Formats: sequence, structure tokens, C-alpha cells
Amino acid sequence: MPECENPLWPCAMTGAAACLAGFEDITVVIHGSSGCYFYPATLLPVPLHGTFILENEVIFGSEQRLHEVLDGLVGKAEKIAVVMTCIPAILGEDVRSMLKSYDVILVDSPGFSGDVETGYKKALSVLAPSVDPDRHGINIDGACLFDPFSRGNVREIVRLLGCASVPVGTVFCSDRFECAGHAAAYTVGTNMDFASGVGSLLGGTLGLEEISTTFSRIASVCPEADISPVDREIEREEERIVRACDKYLRRFDPPQAVIFSGFSYAAFAARILEHYLDADILYVGSRNEPGTLPFPCGHVKGFSHVTSLIRKFNPDLVLGSSFERSMDSMQAFVGLTPPLRGIVKLAPHSVAGITGTLSFIENVLNACMDRKK
Amino acid sequence: MTSNPLPLNLSRSGGCTLTGALSVTTRVRNTVTIVHGPKGCTHHNFSLLHATNLDNDRVTIPDLISTGLSECDIIFGGEGALERTLDAAAKRDVSTVFVLSTCIADTIGDDVAAVCRKDRGVPVVPVPTGGFLGGTFQNGVNNALTAIADLAESCPKAWCVNIIGEKNLEYEVEENFKEVTRLLAALGIPVNLRFVRDCSMADIHGLGAARLNILRDEDLHEVGERLRLRFGTPFISSFPAGLAGTIGFLESVADNFGVKSLRAVREEKVLQEAILREFDDISGTEISFDPSVLDSDTFRLACEVAEGIGITIDRDGCRVPAEISPPVGTAGVRRMLHRWRRAIHA
Repeated sequence: MPECENPLWPCAMTGAAACLAGFEDITVVIHGSSGCYFYPATLLPVPLHGTFILENEVIFGSEQRLHEVLDGLVGKAEKIAVVMTCIPAILGEDVRSMLKSYDVILVDSPGFSGDVETGYKKALSVLAPSVDPDRHGINIDGACLFDPFSRGNVREIVRLLGCASVPVGTVFCSDRFECAGHAAAYTVGTNMDFASGVGSLLGGTLGLEEISTTFSRIASVCPEADISPVDREIEREEERIVRACDKYLRRFDPPQAVIFSGFSYAAFAARILEHYLDADILYVGSRNEPGTLPFPCGHVKGFSHVTSLIRKFNPDLVLGSSFERSMDSMQAFVGLTPPLRGIVKLAPHSVAGITGTLSFIENVLNACMDRKK
Repeated sequence: MTSNPLPLNLSRSGGCTLTGALSVTTRVRNTVTIVHGPKGCTHHNFSLLHATNLDNDRVTIPDLISTGLSECDIIFGGEGALERTLDAAAKRDVSTVFVLSTCIADTIGDDVAAVCRKDRGVPVVPVPTGGFLGGTFQNGVNNALTAIADLAESCPKAWCVNIIGEKNLEYEVEENFKEVTRLLAALGIPVNLRFVRDCSMADIHGLGAARLNILRDEDLHEVGERLRLRFGTPFISSFPAGLAGTIGFLESVADNFGVKSLRAVREEKVLQEAILREFDDISGTEISFDPSVLDSDTFRLACEVAEGIGITIDRDGCRVPAEISPPVGTAGVRRMLHRWRRAIHA
């Protein structure tokens, strides 16, 4: 059935805007109505521009309006990217030729063409990222402005690479535009739902085991790397995690969890909960196309599906977005998935890296213990 | 907002008709709203409504269904998708199904009204929205209020007022309502219906009972007129704004009900003077405003309050916060003064 009750995931246009706006020198123009502009503008923590087209432009064409907005930006913006929304896409205008006198990036990624990941990948492909053999370091992948943990993830992986004396290559997509075309040969991932595919992937950074494996691979390809500080930190912090989880299990049963997130974060959460808390993973509801997991798993697109799964499994721990948190139920809740509305979030929290795992376990334990009080 | 609207065409930043209409229809209990368009339009609005609900300490989820128009529907027409979605929604235990279109549905020329005419055993109410093609956010609000009002029948008048068109996405919507009810209580007048904020279709059938409608602001004039013609109910064109405006509001409501306002007015003036005295410490300071509010009612109100307290408005003064919508009533002025003080002391 194409219809969907309370769809949970944004459209391709939002994904394209999130990708492009992550580059600090790209100014993003949403070519469409004010309604299409306002949503990414509230979700993405960077300034966006809009053409705010009206009925007039639908009838007589949007060229003049597009030029007007671009003329206002030329000279002020280092690089401009135009993202198409649904209406300009179906009008049949030759927007590329309208823009031929401007040095702009055009991304045809209307909302109806897919979900947020589709738009993100489309925009990234238009930027034509490539490896520069002379570039040293390790790229960081999977930084997407749509992900509220993106900023924290990047900071954490930059910190860990620094601990290992490894220079940072290009951060996809949180860097300068020119860096996209000069990426290093090797990449480590954060949120792999937004993987760039640039450079040889050495592995992810979600969970201590994955970090350890990935840094071993870094050591094998970077002769200057000294990963011993990272290994020591993993060992030290894992002991703290084990101690905290063990203490919890002395008093309480392991959580019975239902997880709703993008597949990358959901798989991480399921693995960690099972590993450290012997949790029973009742269901993993992936917001995007799921991969394979050793737990019951499916693609959950609408809120009514979420509510029916929570009623069916009656978990004592739910991980998800503020949509899941809004359910009138007694489960412990941990926010892992965008959007996380209704809370103030200023500090750069991470899911990736050692700090990300610590923070995740800390949130889970506190939520579960608060529920028992 | 970072944009480049044409200076003569304010509707560019006027928001989406669909969002405006949804801010109304999702506040009628036990109903469902179908959004005829791509899934993204529904998600965007679902997420925005959810965020503003949370801001108002309201954790319920708006009940929306997207017809999920795909590229194929856009080429061959989306009426089939709407039919299917409507048939499925009508089987649910709801009192009414609202159907809202989007700019995409309007551009491809789907006849939404025709699809909605089929009898499905439950009232199906199409609300004219076409994203930006239907006008602005406010047009969406007005269209939805009008469509819902048309479902109500005439009924006997009672000693009460209706509140019409509260800004459901406004952060301080409940505080504003509380202030209006405080003023009404001073005159001994209760509220019949908040049209539309968390009411049922059964409540809405009592829409015509009020002796007076109080509109949230002047943008709702056409709704007020429509209700006047339909139910014979006069209206006050906006919530009270400013010190003198609040006194005027009390007098105007009292006139409509034929009651005396002298005591309520006297007590309100005493309260206003006490509030101004609370802020004696910022008397003698200089303040300025964001130029975007200089032509607004907020600015006029701010001038009145600044004069009352002995503050000078000067281009080089300390920049204090101001919203486009003026603060409501005496309590709104007090909150505004706290924000001024915070900015002056910052």
C-alpha cells in the first residue's frame, strides 16, 4: 500500500539539503515553496535560502524568480547549490539551462523521488567526490546534518584519530567543498546510513569492538599511526561500562527492548544492549531498508506501525525518536533517532566512538533505573 | 529565516496552506486527516505539529494519513490513491475524515472534491488547500475553520463567548487563552467553545450558541464575518493587546453583553500600574527593536509600555526581543517586560 499513516522519515529533498548544507562553504537554495523550505529550515542547524515560488511562477515559469534569488547571493556565497523540490521538478522547466550563466550545483532531488537517504546520496553524487592519492589521513564518513548526533560523532572521531596520531582526511559531509574532491584513500564510518562510498572503508566506529577493529586496520595502512592510546582508552572505559551494567543486573532483569532507528544506529544499539546488558531484543524497526540482523527486524515507515509493535511486544525499553517518546506508555525511553523534538540539545553528543558508547549505555541505564523508581 | 522574498509580495514567506489547515483539523478530537500528496509533505507537517505539540506540553500525536503519491501517480493521476486511502480511513472509528490536498495534487489536477463526494458512511470534509498554490498559512487556517464551521447547525444563544482561531502552533497559546479567560471571568462571562482547539465534533455543533465570538487576530476577519452571517454572532476582531487595548477589550466585551465594566476596568488598571512599578529598575534606559517589527502592532504596543515605564526607544539602544504578534493582555505585557529586563541586563 503506498499510503502511509504519519510517515516517520523525511523526503529526498531534505536529504539533499542536509548533504549540501554540511559543507561549510556551500550555500543551499531550496527551489520551491515556503512550505518545502520551512521543514528543513527547522530541522537542519544551518541557514538555508529559498526561492519561495508562488502560483505565478507555476504558470509563467520560475526562471526570473530563481535568477532573482541567485543574484542576491552571488558575490556573498562561496559556492551555491540549488535543490529542486516536487513542484519545479514536475513543471518540466529546463532548470539546468536556466542556470547556465551561474556557477551553481544543481541537485534534482524532489521529495517524491524517495526518502532522506536517497536525496543525500543523490546530492553527494552530484558533488563528484574523489580520492586524491597525495592526501594523507583518514576520511570520516556518515556525517549528516539530519542526524542530531552528527556533530558529536565528528568531534569524537577527530579526537580518536588525534589520539592515534592520524591526520583527518575529508569529513563527509562536514567539510569544505573542495575537500570532497581531495579525499584520502581510506575512510572510517560513523552513521553508515549516510555512507559516501569514497575511499576504502576500514570499518565503523559504533561500539568498542568495532572501534578496536577499525583502528587496528588504520594501524595497518597508516605507518605513522600509534593506536595504543585508543586501545588503552577502550580497555579502561569498557571496564567502567561492564561494572555499571553488572551493578544494574544485580538488582534488575535485563531490558526487553524494541528499537526504532535508521538501520546503522539500530543495529549498534541492539548489539550493545545484548552484549553488555544481556538484553532481549524483541524487535528492530528500521526507518530505512534494513540489512540482516540476528534479531527480529523489519522496515517500519509509519507511526501506526510503531504503536502496534510496541503494543504487541510490550517492551520495558524503547529506543527511538520523539515520536516514540510521545506514546502514552510506561516504557523507559532513550532518544537515538531524529527527530528529537521537545528537548533542549546544545552540547555535541555522539553515538560513534568511545564517548558515544559510554553515553549510550549511560542513557539506557539511567532511563531504565528511572522507570523502576 | 534566510530568504530573499520579493519586497512587494509578502505571501512568499506566508507559509504553506496545508500546514495552516492541519494546525486546525488535527485539533478536532477523534478525526483523521488525509493529506493527498507525496509522503514527504505529510512527514514534514507531522514532524512540525509534533514539535509544536511538545512545546505546549502535549504529547499526543496528530492523526495523519498520506496518500503517498509516487512518480507514477504524478504522471497518471492520483485520484485512485486518494480513493484507496479514503476507503481505508472511513473504516476506522472516527467521527469525521478531513481531506487536504497539496500543491502537487493541485498541479496535476486531481479532482479532490469529486472523490470526497462518494458516500462512505462517515462525514468526509474536503478543505481547500493547495500548499502554496492555495495561498498562505493563514488561508489554510481560515479555509479549515470555515469548512468545519459549515458542519454546525444553528442553536439557541447562551451567556458565553467562543474563542475563534487560536494560533495552535504558537508557543504561548495556552498562556494567551488563560489571560483572555481571566479577563472574561472579571466580567462573569464563560467560554463556550475554543474553535478549534481540542474539541470534538459534538462540541462544534454548539458553535452558534455564543453571544459573542472573540477572534485571535484580525487575519480571521473573513471567518468572523462568516460566523456572523451564519449564526448572527457579532465578533471582536482580536485578542487584547497592550495596556489600553486590554482595557478596551474589557469595555467592548461588556458592551456586547450589556453588563457594566467599571469595576473590572478599575481592577485591571490597578494591576497594570503595579506591573509597571515592578520594572522601575529599567526606567531611564534606552532600547531598540529588530527593524522587521517596526511596522507591527507589537511596536505600537511597545511604545505605549515604554512610555508608561520611562524607557526611551532609540536606534542605538539595547536591542530587546519582540515578536511580530503583540503580547496578549496585561500578563503578556509583564512577560514582555521580563524579556526586556533580561536583554538590558545581559
